[in-house]
Amino acid sequence: MAESRTFELAMSPHVEGPRTTRKVMTDVVIALLPAAAAAVYFFGLRALLLVVLSVAAAMAAEYLCLKFMKRPVSFALDGSAAVTGILLAFNVPSSVPWWIPILGSAFAIVVGKQAFGGIGHNIVNPALLGRAFLVASFPVLMTAGWPAPSGYSGGTWSTSGISQERLAEIPGADAISGATPLNLMKQTFDEEGMETRMGEGAPERVREELSSPSTYWNLLVGRIGGCLGETSGILLILGAAYLVARGVLEIRLPLSYLGTIALLGWVWGGAGWFDGDPLFHVLAGGVLLGGFFMVSDMVTTPVTKKGRIIFGIGAGVITMVIRRWGGYPEGCSYSILLMNLVTPLIDRYTRPRALGEVRQDG
Amino acid sequence: MGKVKTFSGGTHPPGSKDLSSSGAIERLPAPELVRVSLCQHLGAPSKPLVKKGDSVTRGQEVAEQNGFISLPTHSPVNGTVVKVEDAPMPHRRSGPSVLIKTESEEGGRVFEPWEEFRAHSPEEIIERIKKAGVCGMGGASFPTYVKLSPPPGKEIDTLILNGVECEPYLTADHRLMLEQGEDVILGMEMLAYALGVENPVIGIEVNKPDAIEHMESLGATVVPLKVKYPQGAEKQLIDAHTGREVPAGGLPLDVGVVVQNVGTAKAVVQAVRDGMPTMERVVTVTGRGINEPSNLLVQVGTPFSELVEAAGGYADDVVRLINGGPMMGIAQYTDDVPVIKGTSGVLALSSEEARQSVEAPCIRCGKCVDACPMRLVPSLIARSAEYEQWEQAERQGALNCMACGTCSYICPSGRYLVHYIKRAQEMIRALKKKEA
Repeated sequence: MAESRTFELAMSPHVEGPRTTRKVMTDVVIALLPAAAAAVYFFGLRALLLVVLSVAAAMAAEYLCLKFMKRPVSFALDGSAAVTGILLAFNVPSSVPWWIPILGSAFAIVVGKQAFGGIGHNIVNPALLGRAFLVASFPVLMTAGWPAPSGYSGGTWSTSGISQERLAEIPGADAISGATPLNLMKQTFDEEGMETRMGEGAPERVREELSSPSTYWNLLVGRIGGCLGETSGILLILGAAYLVARGVLEIRLPLSYLGTIALLGWVWGGAGWFDGDPLFHVLAGGVLLGGFFMVSDMVTTPVTKKGRIIFGIGAGVITMVIRRWGGYPEGCSYSILLMNLVTPLIDRYTRPRALGEVRQDG
Repeated sequence: MGKVKTFSGGTHPPGSKDLSSSGAIERLPAPELVRVSLCQHLGAPSKPLVKKGDSVTRGQEVAEQNGFISLPTHSPVNGTVVKVEDAPMPHRRSGPSVLIKTESEEGGRVFEPWEEFRAHSPEEIIERIKKAGVCGMGGASFPTYVKLSPPPGKEIDTLILNGVECEPYLTADHRLMLEQGEDVILGMEMLAYALGVENPVIGIEVNKPDAIEHMESLGATVVPLKVKYPQGAEKQLIDAHTGREVPAGGLPLDVGVVVQNVGTAKAVVQAVRDGMPTMERVVTVTGRGINEPSNLLVQVGTPFSELVEAAGGYADDVVRLINGGPMMGIAQYTDDVPVIKGTSGVLALSSEEARQSVEAPCIRCGKCVDACPMRLVPSLIARSAEYEQWEQAERQGALNCMACGTCSYICPSGRYLVHYIKRAQEMIRALKKKEA
């Protein structure tokens, strides 16, 4: 008779899929690299310094928190802290002092993430919370100066995306030097104010220039002023395409978000109703970065398909309300933070109908 | 070949079927001692009819049916009863069994063989299937006669023979279709006759093109199915083929469908044509923890250790032994457990194959939601279970889970989602019992 022997016990399933948290996070880091390269290209080595400091601070803060709370410090290497660090750096202008990303990242990790229980448990996007903290604490450093995208790109470029030659043709253009595209758009909403500063017909001229092919091109390439990571539309799209190909990015979130931005950009993003420029509203500001990398942050957004669409639409509406009527030119980060808060509620009310389930409550 | 069908959701674990898929079925002689489980079928264990010292013959009923959802159990050998006792079982901690010392394994024809089954009424066929102790051979072991006896008012119009075999590694059904296709089709015809169903079909995943071709050449209607786990789960198979959704908490017969495994069809043929109860089955002995993966025809009650020895013994780095496939199978503490009618595979995994991941927190990636073939939200149900919020788990549909393991397999954080959900199911059911 065969001799009997014993074995380890375990729960089914007894095999596991290839995907791990670290691989997911590594893919996100890889997807952010093109935009990081663009940041260095347009804003110089200083951009690289800020990103490195931010990532290092995020990972160090994660490590210290885990150590302090006696939890496995290996989580600090799962890549999620690095992603937060990169995103935080992507959300500051290149002109900030070196300690700004360190402070922001540390706040993001300690208050935004570890205070809630670490990876998977945070309620809002840590990087955006870090940014909100920085904007509230250091408004001048964070929003007052927008360096022009010179760096290694050669030539001189305006911060607004409008080419220098065209800018020179606009009367009173001195008044708008150093403005970002969205900043300019915001100024046009106050037609009288802008006309007083710049002269008759200025708002119309500015709008025309913002919606011109050369401005679109600058927005797409990244030859505009702005936060480190948000400028180069095309490289953000490239990174997002990589994530979609790797099955990491759930396309419903960015599509519903950017779709809403485009729609509302047309509805109320122009001079009057229904004459806005959807393309401009999608390419300008931080919505490509936000849409592909923060609206779609797994931890803080719904897990259901329907919920993801609702989240995207909700964030899109809030972004566009802020852009049009709010106190800031851009509403991307606050819209995501606000929607993060209702994520559990969305999940609860969008539970899919199970196979064969008959809903009693309708 | 028709259009390739499938269901929504699911995942793609590596098949690993080439380890054993080319090995023809070999008959393993009965061992010195067979331990016949009396709880092989789903439902009440059968009641012993023999005691220590009794001599029994092959095919003899050693325990009788004990209730509606129950079956009789038969001796697979001629021999002497050594003991009637509780012993470790591959599908539960322990259960009643009859230990029999083997003298020989001839005979077994205890019923009148019916060469022409259509000369008998469907009721007679169903009665024979019951007396022969036929249960689902795909793993769940539900008494087959019960599935063939729909309550009045339930019209059955579709019979699907399940040759999907979507569990990785397993090849027993595949080999059965290739080597005994005629019997499989005859069994399908018998089942269709018993149900009064015209045009039964057989569902096979397209990773078994030889089986599809063979069954079609024998005149069967094959429904080719996409290779995706859990394509062979009853509700998913029905959804794929008919587009009908089995209602939550309901049975396939609620939508007019009966699904039977190809191994069950073979057992039906043995019962009806050969007059023999279910006493043997084909088992895939495989995994990289096995030296010579094989498909063996074994007597029910044969210890796993004998099967492994017949398959060349264990490889050096074997760590885990499983009754069934890797997705839903049950890990065994010892290989001194007997083959039961539902044992489709004895899987020995090497340290490299066996899941070893340490759980990390959920990152809410939603992969489990996209993959759940029952369209549940596994991550949220699991969280409710972790916090012992049983009512919330029930509201989230925990009872609809069929424990296929897709969510746990796909989870990047290595979470044992299906384990939490099964725990929630147990607690919800226990609470309901208490209330009632």
